Amino acid sequence: MNNNETGDQRGSPETPVSSQKSAFASPLLILALLITGVIAIWGLIDPAGLSEIAGRLVHIQFTSRAWFIMAAVSFMLFLSMWLALSKYGKIKLGQDDDEPEFSTVSWLSMLFAAGMGVGLLFWGTAEPLTHYALIEQYRDPRESAGIALFLTNFHWGLHAWAIYALTGLVIAYFGFRRGTPSLIGAPIVDIFGPNRVASTVGWLSNLLAIVAIAIGVGGSIAMGVFQVKDGIDALFGLKNTGMALTMAVFVVLCLSYFPPLVVDLSTGMAKLSNAAMATAGGLMIFVLIAGPTHYLMGGIVQAVGEYFGGVWVHGFRTFTFMDEEIANWFQSWTLTYMVWWIAWAPFVGVFIARISRGRTIREFVVGVIFVPTAFSILWFGVFGGAGFYETLQNHLPIMDVVKSNVSGVTFYVLQNFPLPGLTIALVILAAFLFIVTSVVSAAFVLGMFSTEGDLNPSVKVKLSWGVILGALGLVMILSGSIEAVKSIIALGSLPFVFVVLLLVVCLLKALKKEQPA
Amino acid sequence: MSDLVDTLINLQIFLFVGLLFWLYFKDFDGDDNSDD
Repeated sequence: MNNNETGDQRGSPETPVSSQKSAFASPLLILALLITGVIAIWGLIDPAGLSEIAGRLVHIQFTSRAWFIMAAVSFMLFLSMWLALSKYGKIKLGQDDDEPEFSTVSWLSMLFAAGMGVGLLFWGTAEPLTHYALIEQYRDPRESAGIALFLTNFHWGLHAWAIYALTGLVIAYFGFRRGTPSLIGAPIVDIFGPNRVASTVGWLSNLLAIVAIAIGVGGSIAMGVFQVKDGIDALFGLKNTGMALTMAVFVVLCLSYFPPLVVDLSTGMAKLSNAAMATAGGLMIFVLIAGPTHYLMGGIVQAVGEYFGGVWVHGFRTFTFMDEEIANWFQSWTLTYMVWWIAWAPFVGVFIARISRGRTIREFVVGVIFVPTAFSILWFGVFGGAGFYETLQNHLPIMDVVKSNVSGVTFYVLQNFPLPGLTIALVILAAFLFIVTSVVSAAFVLGMFSTEGDLNPSVKVKLSWGVILGALGLVMILSGSIEAVKSIIALGSLPFVFVVLLLVVCLLKALKKEQPA
Repeated sequence: MSDLVDTLINLQIFLFVGLLFWLYFKDFDGDDNSDD
């Protein structure tokens, strides 16, 4: 690809010389594309075989590593809180006189939208109800609803955001304070290098990051497209629309996310994120007000207490002494989520680092960990609570929908609330905006990685990644093997537990040298 | 799953955690990054 203009309009002294070349001259990028492409083609040719092998390997890894994953994510949470409270909390992510680039509201909105947008819409009602279906076999139904909400909040709460926060913190600290490129492997080279071992480990970390991001976002595109398609079915009462509507949604999505790749990040991304969050927030408030408000608020208050009372202990729970059904549930939900967040950590971490220059470590940790967690509790309290209301109070057969069509659960619940047409349309709009936001952010981060840490990757590089992400999403849609892809993401991201911990050691070693006032 | 695979996976975890401690406490200032 002719890319001679890649280096135009970038006078920043931080611009690496190598980024002046074509992005596709990078061996790192070529290898990442090769690995991703082989997995995509394999999934297209033999989805069942890929699914079986990936599933088996993930089961082995999860069985042996469960204790370590839970210990690691709990350690990350406690460490990030300690960093915020300690004397290091005053250290700025940047030079001492740097000021934040974005307003606090816009900053929080951007990092949250980039992290979990589509997933929240997808699982808002479905996840609590899915847990409920299992728990009610062991506990009283009324008690089961509370436990199901707690488990959902645990999966989306402090631990998830601690993984993002620590990864982002390392990238931001090293990038803005020590001047290293915004790459996953850069802190490793900075602290332990320059030597061959450090460079190799750093290079491998970057490769893993690119592959994990590309596959993860590809899966997210497919998941989002399926949900939007289900929403359109529900909105217009369509049946058997099948692949034609799915492909139409996919094409419209592609046409929507390319223009923001051309607009500068600080304007295009901020506007998209704010629009997505405003739509989702408005939807949540509407359901809260128009629905059984006292029931939902009661559930939220109870969820807050149960979450903050139990989250610290639950972070260490490995369900070792439970039966096989619970053990399988633990693997397919809790462990999958934790590894899923780790897979997304290089993407979200680098992105939130990019938008957090000038903030202190304390501000960063509190903002990144607590605010999105609070929003998640509210979100699941409203949408999960609405699902429980329909199940426990109105005795609607939602559990059947949960078992037959997970992506349609939210729409089924909304159809039993006031103004179903409006709320379903808003879910579709928010889901659409969240996918666009995710793809645009991912194209930016991948562009940054492939140009060895350039904070302003060229439009051509970002567009190239947009095409690749779209292609991956398409392959996953066509192959219909999202479950297999999830298993591959889990496999591909497991090494990241080690990478993130290595990055944490880099951060702690660097902080030891700081002398905060 | 065979016990051997399980043992090897966990051995790898123990070695990695040991490596992390070693990296944390080892002084690399001789190579670079010496700010003081």
